[in-house]
Amino acid sequence: MIRNTLLLTSALATGFAGVAMADSYKIGVMSAQSGYLAPYDGPAYAGFQFCIDEMNANGGLNGTTPVELIVRDTRSDIAEGVKVVQEMIDDGAQFIVASADADPTIAAAQITAADSIPTMTFAGTAPVLTQVGDHVFGSYPADNQQATVLAGHAREQGFEKVWLVKSPDSAYTLGGPEYFGEAFTALGGSVVGESSYSLNQPDFSAIVTAIKNADTAPDVIVTWAWEPDFPAFIRALRGAGVDTQVMGGDVLDSPTVRGLGDVVAGVAHTSGGFPDEGSAYADFIARFSAATGTTPDNNYYVNGCDIAHMIEDAVAAAGTTDPAAVTAAMAGIENGEGIMSNFTFAGTDRMPLRDVVVARISAAGEKEFVLRTTADPAILPQP
Amino acid sequence: MSDANLTAHPGRLRASNLLWTVAAVAVLLVVVAGLTLIFGRTGERIAVQMCVNVVAVVALAIYCGNTGIVSFGHGAFLALGAYLSGILTMPAGLQRSALPDLPTFLVGHETTIWVSLPVAALAGLGFAALTGSAIARLVGASATIATLGLLIIAHGVAIAAREITRGSQTFYGVPRVTDLALALGAAVVAILLARWYRESRWGLFARAARDDADAATSLGIYARRTRFLSWCASGALAAVAGALYGHMLGAFSPASFYLGLVFAQVVMMIVGGMASVGGAVVGVIAVTLLQDTVRQFEGGATVLGITLPEVFGLTTIVLGLAILLVIWARPQGIVGGFELGPGADANVFKRLTAGVTLASPPEPVAPATLKASDLSKSFAGVKAVQGVSFEAPTGRVTGLIGPNGAGKSTLVNLLTRAYQADSGSAEMGETDLTRVAHHKIPNHGVSRSFQNLRLFSGLTAYENVFVAALAAGHDRKTAAAITLRELDAFDLSDVAGFRADGLPYGARKRLEIARALAQDPKILLLDEPAAGMNPSETDDLADRLVEVSQTRGIGILLIDHDLRFVNRLSDWIVVMHQGAVIAQGTPEDVRSDPKVIEAYIGKGRTAQKAAISETNQTQPTEDLSS
Repeated sequence: MIRNTLLLTSALATGFAGVAMADSYKIGVMSAQSGYLAPYDGPAYAGFQFCIDEMNANGGLNGTTPVELIVRDTRSDIAEGVKVVQEMIDDGAQFIVASADADPTIAAAQITAADSIPTMTFAGTAPVLTQVGDHVFGSYPADNQQATVLAGHAREQGFEKVWLVKSPDSAYTLGGPEYFGEAFTALGGSVVGESSYSLNQPDFSAIVTAIKNADTAPDVIVTWAWEPDFPAFIRALRGAGVDTQVMGGDVLDSPTVRGLGDVVAGVAHTSGGFPDEGSAYADFIARFSAATGTTPDNNYYVNGCDIAHMIEDAVAAAGTTDPAAVTAAMAGIENGEGIMSNFTFAGTDRMPLRDVVVARISAAGEKEFVLRTTADPAILPQP
Repeated sequence: MSDANLTAHPGRLRASNLLWTVAAVAVLLVVVAGLTLIFGRTGERIAVQMCVNVVAVVALAIYCGNTGIVSFGHGAFLALGAYLSGILTMPAGLQRSALPDLPTFLVGHETTIWVSLPVAALAGLGFAALTGSAIARLVGASATIATLGLLIIAHGVAIAAREITRGSQTFYGVPRVTDLALALGAAVVAILLARWYRESRWGLFARAARDDADAATSLGIYARRTRFLSWCASGALAAVAGALYGHMLGAFSPASFYLGLVFAQVVMMIVGGMASVGGAVVGVIAVTLLQDTVRQFEGGATVLGITLPEVFGLTTIVLGLAILLVIWARPQGIVGGFELGPGADANVFKRLTAGVTLASPPEPVAPATLKASDLSKSFAGVKAVQGVSFEAPTGRVTGLIGPNGAGKSTLVNLLTRAYQADSGSAEMGETDLTRVAHHKIPNHGVSRSFQNLRLFSGLTAYENVFVAALAAGHDRKTAAAITLRELDAFDLSDVAGFRADGLPYGARKRLEIARALAQDPKILLLDEPAAGMNPSETDDLADRLVEVSQTRGIGILLIDHDLRFVNRLSDWIVVMHQGAVIAQGTPEDVRSDPKVIEAYIGKGRTAQKAAISETNQTQPTEDLSS
């Protein structure tokens, strides 16, 4: 109810903004409100809109440029996404925020390429997505950055032999473990085995048996599996009496994974940020909860807000809202201030270099902070 | 009804056919024009997507509509077309960076879409031929599940073929060349092709086999081949649709062609009406318009001064409700089981009144004899037919009688190879029919009707007969003339434009005989043609059969319980009891044969007593003395 009231208010506000402020900065937002992207686009949009609303209340970006949002639901459908991006450009969008996955972002980027309209994904982490053009930006730490930080942590823990469990069914579940393997090997470790699974595979006993009977037993198992595959895998693994350390990607940073009980105790995973007490992140959570009644339980909310800050910084640096200038300015940002973490686009292929957090699930099912660092560019696997 | 007398002008059928095609195209053109004129560029983009969907759904309906089998496998063809056309048209520089390990025969073509579309169609055809050889063997739910399996396999292969498809990662750099002119042109061509196929020889055969595979087979239609051809035509067009879809998106991955897209297109087809091309078109239009109308209100809007809040997911909810409503109110889809537009019996065609000369009655057939020798068939130890021998020559009506369960229908099924005989032979001239494939029996001059009506219920009376004439190998013009002749001979001209399942019982019985006669058989096997008819209908049928037999000289093997009817028509009667022939001869001889009387009436009673006292009580329609 509170959320609806907020939405209504913002709709009214946006409506007035459209009438009253002719020189507003128009940002088109592709947001999947249903389908497989909804769990990511929903929170990301909520966080983004929250911070844009805050900025507009203070005069807009940098206090001077009010923002007008053009929001369209894509239903996680790529054809619908293509259509709405074109509509948003017709409506004058000067910046496009695309859905949280590589497919819709790349499809959108091919359309925005003609006018060099800067296009940023909500949370797509496949490093490949920025290869489409110079106007395409990531926002979340890319898979290869996360994998590199996690590999460094694993080596620091003394692990030497990794077993990779990956699924070719998605770029995320395939790319994460492969990047980990590369970085881990570069740091002196070795990959002793690999297994493949299918998304939504109900039974992991064959993979568990292969790991259990391997000639060279691994001392760490790495997977970028998400739900329901990860719960099925970890239950099968622990059920078979294999207590090898398991590490995974940021997708494990969810209340439902932490709620799996004993089987996940000690599992380490990457994350985009950690709401330390007194941090800007913790403050964001408090403000967001107070305003909406919803407590953010994942990083997509705060990353959505950080996208607003990235755009604000780029417009400030460009000194204009001209798309090409904003694109160039965005690509030159160095150590921009974010809430989840700071961000650097300069010197990257426009997947921002950001801190990656490693967290561990405690025996009580709590998320424990382990470390926060930036991936070492020297060993960062190339996409 | 007399207004619809098609023998008065067969042009009504052609006009109706043409109007159906025009209606499907016109509906699309009107909606596209409306969208682009009223909503400008936004409307144009909706129209492009809609037209691409029309190509895809019409392609899907070529298989599903004509065979009655729902396919979930067409995502495989869409993906094939999209990836192939994408690779062929991709700029060479981009291809080198995006697909560095592409097999050399695919590298650097940089063709236009006018080259890649035909290549995609051919690839789709080839892939359909490969997969169709297995899927066409199946019918009903098992075929549907097989198509789902095909989709899952194709999805897995697309993900595994990383060198060609970039695996599960986004495949990008496909030129976005699907504009309104191309999409609309393709949609119109797809509609014309689908309409042409549906009314073609093979489309009619497929629909006949869809409605009743056994009856179609008995006419010489090879049901499996009709499914195979429909699958191939459908697959080729679906690959083109996939290419257009790929060139509309510009970037996609295997997931883009998976269950989400396939379900959406199947829903469009079912909402509109699966059985017709017009239904497929209307389904796409209805779903697209509904989606895009509701979508405008999702992000919040001002309607009549009232500001509506954002309600994301509204499109999905409204679409779901609409589908439920359609299924509840019109289970056959918005358009229903027939094409969009007036049928041949519509008033609009009344003015077409010029007469037509019917095909002349066929020349009396050359003498031949269907000769059963020692035929036997058992089912799980029950001897249904044992050692049956008799002859049914041309120019004679041979009656086959016997109590219920005597094995008469089994015998007909043995003679037409619907069942394989355990032993014995059924010779037609030099050919042993027991060694001929079921669907090739009509080639040897033997046609049949069925004990229980087996018409092609989704086809008109005209089409039921027409399909039989085509199956006999006639060209369309000759087949049309023969059809009108047979319809006239059985007083069915007035109802020729009506669907077979809407006809009165007597008319359906006559239609089945007309259908069999359209094949110009030498021997006609009629399995209880008068069952369920009232006495006047039976007399009328007898008159018509006598005339057919006399003018054409064909042989009729007549099976019926109505002994008065059989006696009136038959020159020779064969009596079966408990699977064996117990008597045969002229009607007079058979009537007085004690074994026959015993079989019908019971042991220990005299023929006279039986005839007088019991016949009417036990078998009211039988009259041994007539």
